[in-house]
Amino acid sequence: MATRLVPPGVRELPALTDLRLEVRAFLAEQVRAGVFVPHVDTWLTRWDREFTRELGRRGWLGMVIPTEYGGQGRTYLERFVVTEELLVVGAPVAAHWIAERQIGPSLLRYGTEEQKRAFLPRISSGDVVFGIGMSEPDSGSDLASVRTRADKVEGGWRVTGTKVWTSGAHEADAFFALCRTTPLDPEHRHAGLSQVIVDLHDPDVHIRPILSMGGDHHFNEVHLDGVFIPDDRVLGEVGDGWRQVGSELAYERSGPERVLSTFQLLATAAQAMCDGGLPTDAGLGRHVARVAGLHHLSFSVVAAPLKKKPADVPAALVKLLGTTTEGDVADFVDLLTATGWVEDEELYTLLHAAILQRPGFTLRGGTNEILRGVVARGLGMR
Amino acid sequence: MSDAAENDRRAAGFAHLAEPSTADPDVVAMLTELFEDYRATRPAPGATVDLDRGLWARLEHLGLTRLTGSEASGGSGAGWLEAAALLGLSAAAGAPVPVAEHDVLGGWLLEAAQLPNDGGIRTVCRPDPSGVALNVTWARDASRIVALWEDRDEWRVADVPLDRVGLEEGRNLAGEPSDTVEFDLLDLEDGVVVAHGIGEQFHHRGALARCAQVVGAMERVLEVVLAHVRDRVQFGRPIGRFQAVQHLVSDIAAETALARAATDAAVARAAASDWQDRGMLFAVGVAKSCVGHGASVVVRNAHQVLGAIGTTLEHELHTLTKPMLARRSEYGSVHEWDETLTTLATSAGRDRLWTLVTTGRAKSADRADR
Repeated sequence: MATRLVPPGVRELPALTDLRLEVRAFLAEQVRAGVFVPHVDTWLTRWDREFTRELGRRGWLGMVIPTEYGGQGRTYLERFVVTEELLVVGAPVAAHWIAERQIGPSLLRYGTEEQKRAFLPRISSGDVVFGIGMSEPDSGSDLASVRTRADKVEGGWRVTGTKVWTSGAHEADAFFALCRTTPLDPEHRHAGLSQVIVDLHDPDVHIRPILSMGGDHHFNEVHLDGVFIPDDRVLGEVGDGWRQVGSELAYERSGPERVLSTFQLLATAAQAMCDGGLPTDAGLGRHVARVAGLHHLSFSVVAAPLKKKPADVPAALVKLLGTTTEGDVADFVDLLTATGWVEDEELYTLLHAAILQRPGFTLRGGTNEILRGVVARGLGMR
Repeated sequence: MSDAAENDRRAAGFAHLAEPSTADPDVVAMLTELFEDYRATRPAPGATVDLDRGLWARLEHLGLTRLTGSEASGGSGAGWLEAAALLGLSAAAGAPVPVAEHDVLGGWLLEAAQLPNDGGIRTVCRPDPSGVALNVTWARDASRIVALWEDRDEWRVADVPLDRVGLEEGRNLAGEPSDTVEFDLLDLEDGVVVAHGIGEQFHHRGALARCAQVVGAMERVLEVVLAHVRDRVQFGRPIGRFQAVQHLVSDIAAETALARAATDAAVARAAASDWQDRGMLFAVGVAKSCVGHGASVVVRNAHQVLGAIGTTLEHELHTLTKPMLARRSEYGSVHEWDETLTTLATSAGRDRLWTLVTTGRAKSADRADR
């Protein structure tokens, strides 16, 4: 058989579609009631802790967390369709996104019983909000070069260093910080790294905003000034951090948010072409086709049996294609639009936001260049 | 939780939510072996491609030439999942045989018209009102030509012997026989009237068959490219070690994966509904668009990576890239399909676009419609 990098296709059955329609009806009702205004890139830019808690009450958070830890004990496929429905309608989901996507699964995989009981019920109810503590001022794509240091002390670790691009840290309760528990050995760069669970309300944690180019505050610099981390807040094994973040990144890269950040713009552009507000252009069909193809592709990745290794190559392929496409949607609509064009204020608002968010699409969670490297490794070229 | 336990839990939990749609593994194994064997023994690439009657006889012996025909009519009774596997693997091997024209198009039309099928090679076409059909692949090699003809408000199917048509030989971009066929209008008027949806379905079937062929070729292109970047040494190392080359190849892999996913989804929908699903138009359009635009990247990057040797007659690459470009434009250009999708998307509008993406129909959100 010829080279095949992605799992075979699967068909959605009515039981799954029923869940889809249930979520869709709820969200339409929320839009009608004015609870939120549909927007683009809402999984980064739209926080609403009350909306998040409402999703928790409806059983649409903690979906893959077992019921014994306060979750729903449902499947990744069910979570996938709920996620898609939330994204395409542009709902305010940033508050729970990180916890739901990667923190919960990582805790299930690597956490102690006590850690699971401490965090998973509150993740499932939307009452605890997590951020990501991987990147640093001098460590972006080269994650193994992180310099945040954990020094062993009585009963735990003292953690010192600076994390950046922590979206929502100013609103969040905790993050996993990737840090060095043993000094860098240039021959074994991936050794000696560990993940610790940091309480962002700790007085030795200092959070400063990093404003985005549109003036918005989503990102932060998080300075850890000798924060004490008790031994029971180390995630997984000391020294095993590189492998753990690798599997966390596979969760982070393969989701539908890597395709659908601008879906509201695409849908509103379709409406504008119907209403005569935008010229009808075959590019619409081309972009809709790619979104539909990616929907099938990421669905098949989610449904595939787990292999020994994390599904890093299919996840990288989905993210590479998806983030390019969601950004191209912004550019496509922009190319059809004249300066000062205000006939459709809603479309303009979405377009403006999408253009400003677009550069981040192909950077966050692994740049397209890094992802092409992951694919190349999967193909045996590296 | 261990991966094995998690897999068991997934399989148990997923059964009522989603079902895999994969071709019969025995059929796929047989096809894989057959075409690998063919690739090892086939003649050197040439500028033109002619029907390989020896290969056709082997396919016929294995029941593959009538793979999707009903068993009552002498076919093998397989479905579109298996047909797509045959189309893809034969295209990957550059096999010069009319598997699309003869079975999933011609054989199907004969069954729809309840006309007998003697098993002789068929090709298909849609003659214009004057009885002329252009670019009819493999026409000169067929024993009969199955014509689908729009006669006022009716569709007719006629199974016309080759010796009753005028034939002007031509070749397509791939160097395959692609002839002009002129019918006697009386032969067409003698055709059997078929159900009204047949004309539209013929177009969809043809488009999806071409997608399956192009995706199969893309997957083989990726293999050829990977072998080259491992073997070819420049500046003291295999060129696959260079990041610039890795990125070209990664994009081939990505576009191939997307084209595969879009095509498989349409094939699965066709197989599950015997083409009756009302989302087929959208599903085929998505496949045609993803495959068509993906072919641009795959062909460009593959030739870039292969360098000058990949542009030569003796090299395998053009036996894949030329048919890919020829086939993506058949049964509707890529642009026409993009326009069709655009019409569907604008009709769906903002509030129904996602429903269109997930079901292929803009109005299916209510349960009764499923």
